Amino acid sequence: MSTVRTNRDRLVTQILAGEVWPALADRHGYRVDADGTPFLLPGMGGVTLGAHAGDPATGYAADHLEPGLSVRAAGEGANMALQFLACAGNKVTVRSGPATGAVGRVLGQHAYVLVDMAEEDLERVAPGDRVSVAAYGQGLKLLDHPEIVAKNLDPDLLDELPISTGADGRLHVRVAARVPAAAVGAGAGMVSEFANTDLMGAYAGQGEDLSLGLETLRLGDLVVLEDQDHRYGRGYRPGYLTVGVISTGHCRLFGHGPGPTSILSGPASAFSVEESS
Amino acid sequence: MKTVAMNLSGAVETPVMPSSPYLIDADGHPYVPIGTAGIVLGVHLGDGVFDHDADHAAPGVTLEHRDQAARHALTAYACLGNEAVVHGGAAAGRRGRVLGKRGEQGRVIVVFPDDVLEQLLPGDPILVRTHGQGAVISPTVTLMNTDPSFIDRLPLSVDGDRVRVAVRAAVPSSLAGNGIGRPAHMWDIDLQITSGPFRLGDLVAVDDLDVRHNAGYRRGWRTVGVIVHGGSPQPGHGPGLMPMLCGPAEALSLEIQGDQHRGVTTGDIESQP
Repeated sequence: MSTVRTNRDRLVTQILAGEVWPALADRHGYRVDADGTPFLLPGMGGVTLGAHAGDPATGYAADHLEPGLSVRAAGEGANMALQFLACAGNKVTVRSGPATGAVGRVLGQHAYVLVDMAEEDLERVAPGDRVSVAAYGQGLKLLDHPEIVAKNLDPDLLDELPISTGADGRLHVRVAARVPAAAVGAGAGMVSEFANTDLMGAYAGQGEDLSLGLETLRLGDLVVLEDQDHRYGRGYRPGYLTVGVISTGHCRLFGHGPGPTSILSGPASAFSVEESS
Repeated sequence: MKTVAMNLSGAVETPVMPSSPYLIDADGHPYVPIGTAGIVLGVHLGDGVFDHDADHAAPGVTLEHRDQAARHALTAYACLGNEAVVHGGAAAGRRGRVLGKRGEQGRVIVVFPDDVLEQLLPGDPILVRTHGQGAVISPTVTLMNTDPSFIDRLPLSVDGDRVRVAVRAAVPSSLAGNGIGRPAHMWDIDLQITSGPFRLGDLVAVDDLDVRHNAGYRRGWRTVGVIVHGGSPQPGHGPGLMPMLCGPAEALSLEIQGDQHRGVTTGDIESQP
């Protein structure tokens, strides 16, 4: 339970509409992995079954595994608003089709808003079904930690995370893993309110020379990215830390991998980080 | 196998901006990006990558194509050293050479003499004699984005399955920013640095980076490329390295030259075969 003081009573909620987006492919089909081997695997778009928060992030025959619903809005501007304003933990309600009324939560962003919900609800959702997202969280400030920028984080989710203000005044965060900057793949250089940061060296079954020791990550894990400043974009910066929630899973495409949605970033001196054993 | 050349067309890029001009720098401050595309005057090979208060400024012009798929193809097939000829407008017939490329929508960077730059306009058609993808330099070191006829102007030597190349410096893969996870035949890799002695045209090595099938981390491998554009205030961006050589570190050895380094120069670009 978080004890962090925030400006949550000043934040507003916007109801945004989206739809479950189909999986997309082109007529050439294949992509190639790190060793040049072609593959054709599911994972992005549509409704992806069998992977939820708490499950292993990797170990699936999948590429860019997006748990649950993959949601976009029709229209470029409306879609960017949805992608930028949706926050991890936001409530999502299915608004059409047989699953109308089913409720899930945003797990993160990945150029789609990713929505985790109960498996029996997911089974009744099809691409094209409409959803609403109660977008709440951008603008969040941690009042006792002015050097830390929060984003993509529903204050209600913050309350459930192992994040607290420590006796020394620093923000205490318990994470599943420390991620070295060398693991940061696709996502570097992009704005940090959009998509996530793919982590390389994070799944088994590759050569030893590709491993960075991150094979045990789970969906929904909190991780800390070392030497990453994601306050106003995503970049390498010695002495900065970024905390993220793992929102996507297994990925064969080289330079990609399971990825955290950035939620907190600031100078390392503002954090005390504990690794769960 | 014999390599194949193709004449492709591009147009001098028209810079575009959204209705708000600002981008945000690494400290959260707004800035107006200058010199990102099109015809940029006053930036030359050999200039320091942080000499100009600009964003991703390249020496010369960038090319685009009105059809996005054709633009990707132009970007994919254009290689360092390819000849480019102005195909219309006030500078018709004048020649330059491809220095490199940038990613996302795809941009080809062409260096022309200053008097040609002064005559060019956005939209002027440019013919590029694309040639180089598929060329082989060694059984163990992969060559890409480089016209084989330009190799003898580069500070490298081939000895059987080993390649030795002179570079300004070698940097760790954690500095590889925008471009990581993207196809290196179509996308440069921004080095996440905000200071340093690097110059436009320098050859630079990135350790533990494999760019053969997308750019990604691979321990013990190495990528060498040429710096094709200058720095950027945007986090995750910086001077752009277009990959040219990639292999296991033991097969791709370096002579780290520091201040003595001479990479791709204006003379290399302007001399005719």
